[in-house]
Amino acid sequence: MTELLQLLLGEFHAKMLLVLLSATQWTIYLSLTAFIGGGLIGLLFTVLKISPIGWLRRLATAYIWLFQSIPLLMLLFLTGLGIPAFFKIDVPAWLAATVSLTLFTSAYMSEVWRGALESVPKGQWEGGRALGLGFNWILYSIVAPQALRIATPPTVGFMVQVIKGTSMAYIIDYNDLMRWGKKIANSQLDGAEPYIVYPVVALIYFGLCFPLSQWSKSLEKTMSPK
Amino acid sequence: MFDFRFYEIWREPDFIDRLINGVWVSVELSTAGGVFGLIMGLTLAAAQSSVSPSVLRYASISYIEGIRNTPFIVQLFFVTFGLPLIFNYRWPFEASALLAIVLNFSAYFAEVLRAGIESVHRGQIEAAQSLCLTRRQTFFDIVLPQAFANVWPSLTSQFVFLFLTTGLISEIGVEDLTWSGRYIADRNFRDFEVFIVLTLLYVLIVFGYKAIFSLVQRFAFRWRVAR
Repeated sequence: MTELLQLLLGEFHAKMLLVLLSATQWTIYLSLTAFIGGGLIGLLFTVLKISPIGWLRRLATAYIWLFQSIPLLMLLFLTGLGIPAFFKIDVPAWLAATVSLTLFTSAYMSEVWRGALESVPKGQWEGGRALGLGFNWILYSIVAPQALRIATPPTVGFMVQVIKGTSMAYIIDYNDLMRWGKKIANSQLDGAEPYIVYPVVALIYFGLCFPLSQWSKSLEKTMSPK
Repeated sequence: MFDFRFYEIWREPDFIDRLINGVWVSVELSTAGGVFGLIMGLTLAAAQSSVSPSVLRYASISYIEGIRNTPFIVQLFFVTFGLPLIFNYRWPFEASALLAIVLNFSAYFAEVLRAGIESVHRGQIEAAQSLCLTRRQTFFDIVLPQAFANVWPSLTSQFVFLFLTTGLISEIGVEDLTWSGRYIADRNFRDFEVFIVLTLLYVLIVFGYKAIFSLVQRFAFRWRVAR
């Protein structure tokens, strides 16, 4: 593999590409953690948002509003620079990046999922209640399966936003693809000019994002309710 | 434990000036980016219509997918540090920032507008044809206003979402709101308070933008008959 790359691109560019690809793994780890963590927290707040208990609903509304309003960049600065400076504690970059992206993802995901749940006709809830089922049971076995069809395409599509969002984490020195791309572009080496490095970096991001956005589009076609 | 010292931001006139200037630069660049992005996005969306030649259609789709599937920061760095080397000509960083913002916004707007154009009922176009309107008239007078009216809310939220990413232009030294925040935090070491204030300012600007968008909605789409 390495030999083939060296043959095709020359030694320098093969090495550059390998460095960038190995940095990509940190982008992928961060995206996956944020997506899974954000999905779980988002799920919790989705359920709270439609729960029959008033103050839980308001709590969820406040949470979603708050973390949709705070720019991701500010979340990164607050967790990566603000909290360490304020509480005089050491926060590693990966932790700050994970927390920021998780909060960001959870707020947007629960917004999407709430919309999907609300698009299920009210009659389904009433039907469930007429059968004597409780809130949890109706949600779990009647409404959620129907909402899943509507929610899946935008959920997959949002993964693209998460991956693109992770590129901001380099700002607090998280060692991902973007940070290594910037390091190489700043290195002043021949063959590592910005107009070579950044398109390569963009291409790697594109390779991660494009299949997901196409998948989301095809899901939209196949899963749209008749 | 909670020892907030916001006064360390207020007491320095220089810091206040930087913040005001930062708000101004951010608003200026993203508003200009929004307007030019909308024009370019409209062109991209129109290039995808079924009557345009397939070369144009594929060029437009490739551009949109290329931009939408790569991070803004990479585009910004390419435009700022890569393009000047290719053209062997240096331009100010503000121009790079604006160019990157326009290129980025336009792809997202194009996607929204395309959906809007597709949402206009076929009967509208047929009716326009039966009234002997030209293709140009049909597009600009019949299809476009309805397309805008249909997707205005999506356009608003898309713009707000994109606006919140423009803080990245501080990375190339453009003195926007985020840059001002970092400038202050680097001097008074109150990072937490500074970024809270910055967040509030961003939220306020978003409120302002949303107000303008809903004002436009109220007055520009008055002709619209309630369905």
